[in-house]
Amino acid sequence: MTIAPPSPTLSFHSSLQPHCLARHASVGLSERLDPIPPYGAVLWLTVARSAPPASIDQVVSDFDGVTFHLSTPESKSKILISINVKCFKELVQYGAQEVLEREYGPYIVSPEPGYDFSVQIDLENLPAEQEAREEMIMKLALLKRNAMAAPFERAFDEFAKLAEEASRYTSESAPQGIKEGGDVMSIHYREEEAIYIKASFDRVTVIFSTVFREETDRIFGKVFLQTSCRDATECASGALPQHSPLELEGVPGVKHAGEGEMSYVTFVLFPRHLTPQRRYDSISHIQTFRDYFHYHIKASKAYIHTRMRKRTADFLQVLNRARPENEERERKTASGRTFRVQS
Amino acid sequence: MASQTPAVVMDNGTGYSKLGFAGNDSPSFVFPTAIATKAGAGSAGSSTGSRPAVSNKPSFLSGNAGASSHLSGKRGTEDLDFFIGDEALAAGNGPGYGVNYPIRHGQIENWDYMERFWSNSIFKYLRVEPEDHYFLLTEPPLNPPENRENTAEIMFESFNCAGLYIAVQAVLALAASWTSSKVTDRSLTGTVIDSGDGVTHVIPVAEGYVIGSSIKSIPIAGRDITYFVQSLLRDRGEPDSSLKTAEKVKEEYCYVSPDIVKEFARYDREPDRLLKHTVTSPNGRSIQIDVGYERFLAPEIFFNPEIYSSDFLTPLPNVVDGVIQSSPIDVRRGLYKNIVLSGGSTLYKDFGRRLQRDIRHLVDARIRASEARSGGARSGGLDVAVVTHKRQRHGPWFGGSLLGQTPEFRSYCHTKAEYDEIGPSIVRRFALLGGPGSS
Repeated sequence: MTIAPPSPTLSFHSSLQPHCLARHASVGLSERLDPIPPYGAVLWLTVARSAPPASIDQVVSDFDGVTFHLSTPESKSKILISINVKCFKELVQYGAQEVLEREYGPYIVSPEPGYDFSVQIDLENLPAEQEAREEMIMKLALLKRNAMAAPFERAFDEFAKLAEEASRYTSESAPQGIKEGGDVMSIHYREEEAIYIKASFDRVTVIFSTVFREETDRIFGKVFLQTSCRDATECASGALPQHSPLELEGVPGVKHAGEGEMSYVTFVLFPRHLTPQRRYDSISHIQTFRDYFHYHIKASKAYIHTRMRKRTADFLQVLNRARPENEERERKTASGRTFRVQS
Repeated sequence: MASQTPAVVMDNGTGYSKLGFAGNDSPSFVFPTAIATKAGAGSAGSSTGSRPAVSNKPSFLSGNAGASSHLSGKRGTEDLDFFIGDEALAAGNGPGYGVNYPIRHGQIENWDYMERFWSNSIFKYLRVEPEDHYFLLTEPPLNPPENRENTAEIMFESFNCAGLYIAVQAVLALAASWTSSKVTDRSLTGTVIDSGDGVTHVIPVAEGYVIGSSIKSIPIAGRDITYFVQSLLRDRGEPDSSLKTAEKVKEEYCYVSPDIVKEFARYDREPDRLLKHTVTSPNGRSIQIDVGYERFLAPEIFFNPEIYSSDFLTPLPNVVDGVIQSSPIDVRRGLYKNIVLSGGSTLYKDFGRRLQRDIRHLVDARIRASEARSGGARSGGLDVAVVTHKRQRHGPWFGGSLLGQTPEFRSYCHTKAEYDEIGPSIVRRFALLGGPGSS
């Protein structure tokens, strides 16, 4: 059975590469998945509007099982924000601690028990200007983004180094290491799914392993990726290949063909995505790929459901029209005699 | 705790939707249940907004199959071009978008809009992957089971959510009252007075089940109080009597007085009870208006509706008493003992106290009358208690948050696997959450 592109979303002229995701923002799309979790709203109220300090104790969730805890343990004016990321150990291994220290230096406190990383802000000690405050809130709201950014930043740096080295050789004389690129960094950000990142001298490869619990979702996902790839001008991603990509050869924990429902989506970031100007956006967008992907699958389903409801209503209308009129009806005369009406 | 994701609690009301995570004391988001869609962009005659253009005949009959109404005409992102909540209202003010309210009278009317509203609330606002979370949704009392099934279809088939529980708002409002220090036994028997913006409901609940036949609605609620304040301001010729100002006055200064005649006298004796309210208009000018008797007159329309309306004349205490009297006799004592307030229009100072006093008067008068008629029998008296608590404003949401964080919550939910096995009819029945036997 062939499946027509189920939703307009699938016919995007998108190469699913970060710059294209950014372009969706112009039609109001990828802004839907801005990296700002719900606790941003609370912070916004208390900090930017300078509402009176109140005690807060909230646990909120973000994509991929990330949990935040907002609390005021000591006094009402000190807000503690803690984050729990499933793969924090791996992130630290790839330099998350340094990235977070760079971003949140003065605010860092020792992590709250049960969480991986904590920052604290003092409401009595805020920047005076409104703009600086807003900037601070934005920064704090990006905790997850920044934690997850570490391996990408490392890969981008590695790419820069390799590219520079490689420029000194011709392709024949390049020593082995440069041709192959760096090691594969794996981040098991969900129970069954992981991101693999590998830097080479001419590109950075990012591979998402995905699992679909639902058969329908897998089909939707496949169509989504195929359509995006067909429209792509230069897309290096194999849409859900059944075997694991060559880049992942030898990486522990990678399942191979036929082992379950695992499939892989590969992104190749070319040097133009990796320029310092592009870097920030590239990282932000590629991180949320999975959420973006699933959002679109679900939006497509919603669209199909809309059409199904519409079609059902149409059919019902047809049925109602086809219903024969009551041809024979009994009527009564004034005297009480009954007779049948012939139509 | 970290191993389990918190349940998502969504309370979609007619006016506002409350979204958040179980275990928190307040919802993360409160915004209007509104969705703004592109009104018929490109396709002729689509007055229904976002749905594929409706022709009179189905497209397969009309010959021009695949006309503008279907896929071929829909290559863009029309179906994703919409806003919800406050953004919807903002977009609705501009050109090109039309605002729709998918919920009417507490019940979901337009499933297409609702599905997209949910999709956006989950992905854009709450930012969760529905496959990882259990969901607790609310429904109004007397919601038809078909609506529940539709909800389940969307939640399970579109969003693949891990588990679903649908609770009745009134029952959750009862659960929310458990935080009050006055409540000692966590019973799910009581009368819920739910007063929002549009309408006030009095709902008797026995052991967690709504007594549908006894529910009464009163056409007086928050909006009417605002109108009443506005008319008072107008009558006096205040420089600013806009609806917005009236609402501010209502929210900031109003309270319930024990006796209006005495209150009038008191105002005359103590002129400092008359206040000034400063209105700052967007252009920076500020005007002062007087705030006078409306401080206690406005909420008084619950107790003496004749001062506001000419067609509804039964005071709230009498309605409550009538509702309880029409309920089965064996639960009446419990209903009187636990009258719970919920919703924004019950937040006036001393509202609960006045209600309790008035209902008690009614009950005592009846008891005395029947004692007199029986000739000498003594009654043991009847306990009337109105429970006021801190979580009244978002009562149902908070109740959901409270129940959603209990360890046994997940076992009460229907999971995706169960849904796949049995089908939508599975949601017609839910075990009673927070009922007897649970902690």
